[in-house]
Amino acid sequence: MTEDIRDIMDIERGPTPQVSKEDILGTHKKKISLPSGNRQTRRPEGMAREVFALLYNDKKDVPPVIETETGPTYKLQKARLGMRRVRPWVWAPFTNPARTDNVSFSHWRRVADEGKEYPFAKFNKKIEIPKYTDIEYKEHLVSETWTQEETDRLFDMCEWFDLRFIIIQARWNLGEYENTVKRSIEDLKDRYYSVCNTLTKIRGGSVNESKMYDAEHETRRKQQLERLYSRTPKQIEEEQMLIQEMRKIEARKRDRDRKTQDLQKLISAVDKQNDSRKSLKIDKKTTHHRKRVTVPVRPTRVDPNNFEATTIKFPDIKNSGVSTRSQRMKIPANVSQKKVKNVEQALESLKIKLNPIPTEDICQNYNDLRNEIVLLNELKAACSSSDFELQTLKHQYETLNPDGILKIDPHLMEEMASLSVDEEENEEVPEIKIKIEVNDQEMEDDTDLNLLPKNVLDII
Amino acid sequence: MANNDLTRVKGTSIVKPIIYGNTAKYFGQKRHEDGHTHKWCVYVRPYVNEDIGTWVKKVHFKLHDSYESPTRVVQKPPFEVSETGWGEFELVIKIFFQDTSERPVTLYHVLKLYSNGQDSELSEKPVLSEFYEEIIFQDPSTFMKFILNDTLSKNPPIDEKNLHYERIKKTTVEKMIKSRKRVQEHTVMYKERLKKLRETINKFKDEICALQSQCSSSTLR
Repeated sequence: MTEDIRDIMDIERGPTPQVSKEDILGTHKKKISLPSGNRQTRRPEGMAREVFALLYNDKKDVPPVIETETGPTYKLQKARLGMRRVRPWVWAPFTNPARTDNVSFSHWRRVADEGKEYPFAKFNKKIEIPKYTDIEYKEHLVSETWTQEETDRLFDMCEWFDLRFIIIQARWNLGEYENTVKRSIEDLKDRYYSVCNTLTKIRGGSVNESKMYDAEHETRRKQQLERLYSRTPKQIEEEQMLIQEMRKIEARKRDRDRKTQDLQKLISAVDKQNDSRKSLKIDKKTTHHRKRVTVPVRPTRVDPNNFEATTIKFPDIKNSGVSTRSQRMKIPANVSQKKVKNVEQALESLKIKLNPIPTEDICQNYNDLRNEIVLLNELKAACSSSDFELQTLKHQYETLNPDGILKIDPHLMEEMASLSVDEEENEEVPEIKIKIEVNDQEMEDDTDLNLLPKNVLDII
Repeated sequence: MANNDLTRVKGTSIVKPIIYGNTAKYFGQKRHEDGHTHKWCVYVRPYVNEDIGTWVKKVHFKLHDSYESPTRVVQKPPFEVSETGWGEFELVIKIFFQDTSERPVTLYHVLKLYSNGQDSELSEKPVLSEFYEEIIFQDPSTFMKFILNDTLSKNPPIDEKNLHYERIKKTTVEKMIKSRKRVQEHTVMYKERLKKLRETINKFKDEICALQSQCSSSTLR
């Protein structure tokens, strides 16, 4: 306090600590004196170490219950001002170089700043507006749409209003000029910049100095903006609707492209299958009469590269150990129920039993058959969706062009043959002599019961 | 069986076909004391005429819990359990092998007492429900391989009880191959159809596109 009064009275003051920026903002890091190791309370004799550890100890980092902020904030500490002597200010006259009349005003300024230029003078920017002589005008600047008076006036106004073309345009037809030719901002700008560019050219300036101005483009740009701005809510709504429609159409197109790709894959999968079938036939012949004790060789599968995603991957037990053959015919659980059902339906129409007798040959054929059915089902689905698409297109075509006829291959209109097999003519089974009921799935209609030897039932 | 080497022979695979299932016969009437109606027998037999005991150590038959000591262990052939009862249930058959380091194989079999016929439910005809299965020994131990091959080397004939399975095998394979052919033919058929469909669709699309652009240009005019 006394220091302040001494300052005011301009009395020499005693040495006081200088206030630094850190002091004012309170960013000084408080040196927290950590309790030294010596100050740690010792464990009283006889107290168990575990019990002592439970005691509260300052040194331990007990997490605070309430969140605490330790960083410097303006609220924590008040800025401490006025610890240093005030710098002297004086009432001094000054001139503003921006003014041409050399008028002198006065203002407060620091003694230290004496002799410096008025600090705001640097903001007084003046735009250089090129000037032309009458001769220059007559030689280079004559225009069909602009008279010299008009051009002169434009340049005067450019200088006057610092190229603020909006103001220039607003005043163009004011007062005595009411009856002059009306000019838009673009006209004014175009004339101004074309004159400027011509001047730099005839005075030998580089091309880089010339300014680009495309009046036509600007006019169009403003028109567009104007239109965009003046849309009615109804129009905006319609536009949104159209954009959405467009998106839908695009999505449909993408979808279609993808589908075409998928179909192409399917077709190539069939082609590959046909190739592998030829090899399969040879394979079958060689493997058919193999002895039972051989390492099983897997015949080529239905196109493992292209068709992987849709085929059923049957368990291929290669690990050491014992397993049963029937395990290898099980459809894995990750195959969709729908797919399984479709395969089963096809098997039923082919009159194939669901769990055939598990030999190596049958197992292999059965698995391959089922995968071939999967491929066929995919193809069928693709065909029916294509059929539908064709019908839609046909209708579309007919509405667009009622007289036109597009030929459709008559084969495409035909129904495809069914996969199902007619019940094979069962040989007349003679009256069963032995009194046994065979209800084994595999035997139901594949076995002539009379071939069963009597001793099958010996056990009973 | 001097060879007790249990290291696995890599790349070897030996297949042993077996038959498992049950037979059953109606008493003709309900037994008074316990209400049982059928005598049945569940079994695991070799497919060929061999001593299954050379490679099968024992078989566990897990019966319904209502039976006294439901897990029946049969230590030597014939591997079968004869019982009486009145109801059908799922049996768990566990086959253990002479090589005890080999995990046992588990089969599931639904005990069948009643035939599928309508009026024959309580007829005195015996009922048979049995299945063919192949046990595959992948990379067996030298010891196991020796045992398995021992019987095979004698090339035993198929048990005459099982001869009918050979016929089923043959007809099933034939049928499979025939079906595969049929499916493949259909696949080619559908592929051709699909190709043609795509071509026609593309033709239509092009035409429609042309027509649409014509329309829009005419409306502009």
